[in-house]
Amino acid sequence: MRLKGYLSKMRGSVHGSPPRVSLPEVLWSWSGAFLGIAAVAWLNQRFFAGTDLTLAIGSLGASAVLVFGAVRSPLAQPRNLVGGHVLSALVGVTCWQWLGGEPWLAQSVAVATAIALMHLTRTLHPPGGATALIAVIGSDQVHAMGYLFVLLPATLGPLVLLAVALLFNNLPAARRYPEFWL
Amino acid sequence: MNLNACAAEDPLSPEDDLAEIELTDADILEAMREIPGYLDITTMDFRAVYHLAHRHALDRLFSGITAGRLMRREVRPLTPDIPLAEAIPSFVRQGLKSLPVVDGQRRPLGILTETDVLRGLGADTFLALMARVIADEKCIKSEQHHRPVGELMTAPVVSVPLNAGLRALLAAFASHPGRAMPVLAADGRLAGLLPRKVFLNACHPDRRP
Repeated sequence: MRLKGYLSKMRGSVHGSPPRVSLPEVLWSWSGAFLGIAAVAWLNQRFFAGTDLTLAIGSLGASAVLVFGAVRSPLAQPRNLVGGHVLSALVGVTCWQWLGGEPWLAQSVAVATAIALMHLTRTLHPPGGATALIAVIGSDQVHAMGYLFVLLPATLGPLVLLAVALLFNNLPAARRYPEFWL
Repeated sequence: MNLNACAAEDPLSPEDDLAEIELTDADILEAMREIPGYLDITTMDFRAVYHLAHRHALDRLFSGITAGRLMRREVRPLTPDIPLAEAIPSFVRQGLKSLPVVDGQRRPLGILTETDVLRGLGADTFLALMARVIADEKCIKSEQHHRPVGELMTAPVVSVPLNAGLRALLAAFASHPGRAMPVLAADGRLAGLLPRKVFLNACHPDRRP
């Protein structure tokens, strides 16, 4: 029966979850994320505090999970890290400007379109969805930036993370980054 | 009749798995544990990738194996009206243990195997026949000698097309007990005969074509 098959899919497969990583691996992930986010936050504090601009957006925290916590993942590679954020920010800002009067619609179209665009360009990067959503939900500061949002937090932020990831993730013997560039 | 035309196209035919070890979740998880760092993949995905990659690797390794390249072209088939007494020397001359039986247009009607011949002579195996010959020299009844090949042959015949690859050939050999496989041209006529021995040699990794 179709319904039965449909429902049985929800049970999942039995032993799907990947094993827990070793303790040293946890420490490497912690240190990498610490340095990555520290760099972004420090630059933001040093150069953008008190201005109308920002470098730190929440979705960079999500990127740090991938770039430092799942280094080998295709989702964490430079093409995806930078491409995903830039394209999603473009989509987000555009949705805010065109559909901002209907916030629920602007938000949903932004995230859905960002995913579609990332798929089509092979730049799928989950934090990109957050970037698109942030561009719409924003703060007034984010909204006021307009397309500068694409350039500043959404391009420069991931680039800072990328730089730290390149320097840091190649230090441990068991890590290498990236798997591919483009 | 070609029973195996579909074998090459069915991606899930059981013969595909002949050389592939079934990986359990535990195997995959254990392997993932040995690789430092978080692997962003489920066991299900891994198994699916492994399964498909294995197929591609086999296809690549054995891409040189086709029925047309391996078959013996010079085979002289039998016709159904030939009496057994004439068919047997034909086996011996050609050094084969089965011969295709064809009609006037070289379309296969069946295959006459050594087993068919022995059954016609009233024995299941060569040794059974030997035992009877040793016990009683007159055990082979001469009236059998005149029976036509058409009465004794195995039919319908399992055959393969010229372009049949490893997978189709494995399926074909698995589906009938004969030692040789008639190979048919696109028009359905007999193009040659592929002995199982030749096929197995070609599959040997060190003797790949």
